[in-house]
Amino acid sequence: MRVVIAEDSVLLREGLARVLAEAGIDVAAQVGDADALHHAVHRERPDVVIVDVRMPPTQTDEGTRAAREIRARHPEVGILVLSQVVEAKHALDLFSEHPEGFGYLLKDRVLEIDEFVESVRRVGKGGTAIDPEVVAQLFGRRRASDPLEELTPREREVLALMAEGRSNRGICAKLFLSPKTVETHVNSIFTKLRLPPAPDDHRRVLAVLAFLRS
Amino acid sequence: MRLLRLALGLAGIALGVVAYNVQVDNLGPATTSTRSLAIVAVAWAFLLAGLIAWARRPENWLGPLMTAAGFALLLRQLRYSHDPLAFTVFFALSELSYALVAHSVLAYPSGRVTGRAERALVKAGYASMFLLPLAVLLFYDGSERLRFLDPTPRESLLLVSGNMELALRLQQVFVVFVWGVLATLFIALILRRLARATPRARRILAPLLLAAIVFALRAVPEVVFTFVERPPALLYEYLFWWQIAGFIALPLALLAGMLRSRLARGNVSELVLELDRTPPQGVRDALARTLGDPTLEVAFWLPERREFVDDRGRIVTLPRDGADRAVTRLDHEGEPVAAIVHDATLADEPELLQASGAAARLALENARLHAETRAQLAKVQESRVRIVQAADDERRRIERDLHDGAQQRLVALALQLRSAQRQLGAKADPEVDRLLAEAVDELQVAVEELRELARGVHPAILTEEGLAAALESLTSRTPIAVSLDVSEGRLPAQVEATAYFVACEALANVVKHARASQAAVSARRRDGVLVVEVEDDGVGGAHAEEGSGLRGLADRVEALGGRLLVESPPGRGTRVVGEIPCAS
Repeated sequence: MRVVIAEDSVLLREGLARVLAEAGIDVAAQVGDADALHHAVHRERPDVVIVDVRMPPTQTDEGTRAAREIRARHPEVGILVLSQVVEAKHALDLFSEHPEGFGYLLKDRVLEIDEFVESVRRVGKGGTAIDPEVVAQLFGRRRASDPLEELTPREREVLALMAEGRSNRGICAKLFLSPKTVETHVNSIFTKLRLPPAPDDHRRVLAVLAFLRS
Repeated sequence: MRLLRLALGLAGIALGVVAYNVQVDNLGPATTSTRSLAIVAVAWAFLLAGLIAWARRPENWLGPLMTAAGFALLLRQLRYSHDPLAFTVFFALSELSYALVAHSVLAYPSGRVTGRAERALVKAGYASMFLLPLAVLLFYDGSERLRFLDPTPRESLLLVSGNMELALRLQQVFVVFVWGVLATLFIALILRRLARATPRARRILAPLLLAAIVFALRAVPEVVFTFVERPPALLYEYLFWWQIAGFIALPLALLAGMLRSRLARGNVSELVLELDRTPPQGVRDALARTLGDPTLEVAFWLPERREFVDDRGRIVTLPRDGADRAVTRLDHEGEPVAAIVHDATLADEPELLQASGAAARLALENARLHAETRAQLAKVQESRVRIVQAADDERRRIERDLHDGAQQRLVALALQLRSAQRQLGAKADPEVDRLLAEAVDELQVAVEELRELARGVHPAILTEEGLAAALESLTSRTPIAVSLDVSEGRLPAQVEATAYFVACEALANVVKHARASQAAVSARRRDGVLVVEVEDDGVGGAHAEEGSGLRGLADRVEALGGRLLVESPPGRGTRVVGEIPCAS
């Protein structure tokens, strides 16, 4: 798997590159601004681009704009956006209807190296990695006659992990549950939320996020 | 002075009788007693109006001028005498009576002739109306009839050489120059003055229009009949009586116009009473009514700023005394109190102005204090807005510094430690491994705290995406159920920030104190005001005064010209409403 890193803090950029290299991921290029990122993507055709939201020159939203352009021009390239603050609204705006090959994480998630590497791989394979805080915000949204209230606490945990983009296996590992138990929870959740059963992980994320953003 | 005027009055009556008799005795069938009487009546009208004006407004030269015109009109009739001395003297002076009438008209209402053209015209009038008749006397030998005299010859004591043709020619020159040229100029100057006058001045100058008509009534036949045959008697009769009526009305109109300000002075006492029940902002209107000048403005002196301001505290530059506007300053004990900016014609009535000003001084002083306070308030208000603005800018800067500086560095540092920890891996001393893991955890907590701090200082989403997005983010983070109703679209940064912080503080209070199960946040624009409202179903009993949070926000809202209301009856929930003007 090949990645390009766009991050203006050299220290962090190199730290990231080292961590990924140690995990066996090929870091094809490291850049510090949006222009260089576009060139690198064009040249390297990576599987994933890891991009910081705020970059020079204005330090506002260069990263998100670059991410949008790359998604439009190279839909096959996975994008993992890193930010010091995450907002559900930003996440929804960014992936709009297509959370495939998309990630949006708080910057400090890189400190949990194994989980972070796993997220990069997931995005590289067309999966989704949504920050738990975004999911919490989506849960916090008020809905008329909220079906979320019918879920048990455990089911809510499982739903949150599904929304983050994790597979059943990932959920098992995270919650120390057997695959069979997780399966039961997932079915129960889909019934209670009146969602049609989803045959694969992609469509499951899609369904869950669509439900949460409504 | 009163005796003098009394004597002049009696002399005028006597002279009128003499003038009547001279006319009837000497002109014979060329006149009638009614006509003779009418001419005397015109002179008496001037005399009477002049004496009254003189008595009422001794400082104004118009009274003496009109009195003189009255006498001149009476003496003029003495030229009909067959006595050589009386004929010579009064024929020479006769036409000066019209110069005096014209002078009175041009001096109206102040008693002074203003304007270069007007002064030149008066001089030319006096000169021509004296010199031309005088010249006629040098050549008149009685061999032919002079205009307007009966055919009986008279003797000129100034006769140099008899040349009747020249004498008659000179009379024609006189008519053309005086009643043609000068009268036209006179009428033109009057009309110009009326056209240029302000509305107030025009009301006062109305008698001038009468003067213009009267002089035209006289001038046109004079000029026309000098060159054509005498008109039919009936037309001549009509013209004569219209002229007489106009000439009697003229002095009375001048007198009435001049005394208008006298009447207005009676209003000063009403003004005193009115001011007693007038609020400070009504002083100007009261003065404008009393002085009959709707354009009047009042400016107040601010001693410490050494400048004049209007009633709203805005700086006023006093106009230089010019054609239209004049300034009257009101002082008290050598210190300026206020200035009245008014129609220039009011300057002709300084007493009225001063009397009204004196009456209004106390009220003006009061109003001045008002204006001063308002001026200070306006300044304080401006500085409050600037303080809010500065605080916002500072908050934004701090948020950005935290974000791009400390947070960034801490994450990079933690990542380095984590890498080190992993590189050491299994060969590490378990103690070192634990220390490194703890350090990373601590750094992570620090980053999290910094993030919360930065969000509290000034959320990035507020700057980037505005109030609606920021409130959405805020409510979705709040641990109780919050419904949200907010208008889309951006507003001025200060307004958005203020509304956000109101909602933020109110929601924080709901979570901390209200024991509420749900809350509702709305931010809607209504008629240029952003109304932000936070309502809960909790225990109530909150006070804006308690807890610096809401008090500080109330200050902030008020600085932007809005207000913050807190309704919190015990047991019935709390409602916080911020109303923030947003000009957009």
